[in-house]
Amino acid sequence: MSQKLIISEGLFTKNKNALVGHKCTMCGRIFGPFATFCYACGSHSLESLALSRRGRLYSYTVVYNPTKHLKPPYAIGWIELPEGIIITSLLKGWDEKALSVGIDMELVIEKLWDENGDEIIGYKFQPV
Amino acid sequence: MRDVAVIGVGMSLFGKQPQRSLADLGAEASRAAIRDASVNPKDIQVCYCANYAHVIWCLAQEIGAQVGVTNIEMVNVENACAGGSTALRGVWYAIATGLYDIGLVIGVEQITTSSLAGRLLTSETDLEGSIGLSMPARAALRMRRHMAEYGSTAEQFAQISVKNHLHGCLNPYAQYQKRFTLEEVLNSRMIAEPLTLYECCPNSDGAAAAILCAQDKVSRYTSKPVWIKASVLKSPTYLALEKDICRSYLTEQCAQEAYEQAGIGPEEVDLVELHDAFASTELYLYEELGLCPTGEGGRLVDEGATALGGRIPVNPSGGLLSQGHPLSASGVRQVCEITWHLSDQAGKRQVHGTKVALAHMEGGIVAGLGSGACSIHILSR
Repeated sequence: MSQKLIISEGLFTKNKNALVGHKCTMCGRIFGPFATFCYACGSHSLESLALSRRGRLYSYTVVYNPTKHLKPPYAIGWIELPEGIIITSLLKGWDEKALSVGIDMELVIEKLWDENGDEIIGYKFQPV
Repeated sequence: MRDVAVIGVGMSLFGKQPQRSLADLGAEASRAAIRDASVNPKDIQVCYCANYAHVIWCLAQEIGAQVGVTNIEMVNVENACAGGSTALRGVWYAIATGLYDIGLVIGVEQITTSSLAGRLLTSETDLEGSIGLSMPARAALRMRRHMAEYGSTAEQFAQISVKNHLHGCLNPYAQYQKRFTLEEVLNSRMIAEPLTLYECCPNSDGAAAAILCAQDKVSRYTSKPVWIKASVLKSPTYLALEKDICRSYLTEQCAQEAYEQAGIGPEEVDLVELHDAFASTELYLYEELGLCPTGEGGRLVDEGATALGGRIPVNPSGGLLSQGHPLSASGVRQVCEITWHLSDQAGKRQVHGTKVALAHMEGGIVAGLGSGACSIHILSR
């Protein structure tokens, strides 16, 4: 029986429609999904929040060599979120709409690949 | 701290050599360095040996057994591409602090027989690596961003590969001794847009070694020592990537510390050997090492400043792109190259009048932090 598995525990908000961020309650800095303490002031008092679903394309590339999970060509990029952090993401829709640095991108949560009969669920960004 | 000199260097050919054993490659380089230094192997008191791609125990001891270096402090180290520089730093430290007088540094790697052969280097244990952010993809992202932010061009990046391959033609130890035109580099197979195959370093096997000696013992061995004026090794810090994900603040920080240790500024460096795993990396590094202001790496290429005959030749060896990149060997290989230039033994690629030279390596990627290690050494006559 095929299961849907999230690629990394703690990546998404509870309702699974946004990436999780962590805000330091002491100094206010915001970090990406995997922060366990504040990298700026060292505080362990973090509150989780939903990161923006939209951001801007900071840079991108189309890769022509395979990886363990991905068949080429695939597109990957850095997305700059309004919170001031940059997220590495696979890109979607790059073969239909030309990418360029600075364009608006939005989050999609979907299957990335199959592994041992299960669907691996992750995130991508696509041009708005 | 005592001054420490390089009194001998040696290396194997770099290239694809799957038929040879790691210890055999390491012994060839060590034997050459021992001969170059005219040192009795029995006088060597400490040895650091770097290797990354093979799970093998006590490699330094195995190499030592082949060349007559036994029964001393031996340390095997791993620091990804900065492993060789880390071994150099270890021996420098052991001598500078007065514990030993003479030491052997070895960097040895055989990529073609390792699990890395033919694959793009990726950290598959972290999320970014598993979703396809391989080392070439990361280099391509930085390249594209530099083009968008500063107006650098695909041609300027490709020209770095042309330059380094031209330099490699003059280096008998280089994996590739073949010229490429700008068009050939630009039209070679696309790896990660806009980065092409000839802008990526190859899979390589090889070894390099150096003998270091304390100041007060140097005169026994040579009248032309090469002095280590600065040795810096550092791990990355939090938040550096948040300042600018494209830039290596770790390199900038290490460069600043190295210049301070040596008591010089970047304008006093005559020659640089740097970590050009990709043509794009070299352009960024011009800026991070202070060879030119931020954003002007492309201009430096256009001026020909970093080619042999230019104001500040970079990678006269051919660099990782043409000399080849057996990961842990490269940092020690740079010291061989620099030592030859500082003692007028670099043959056709000799940069005449070199007085001060800088060697730079970075190693690995740590999730959220950037490069795992950076090491910079400054050497002088």
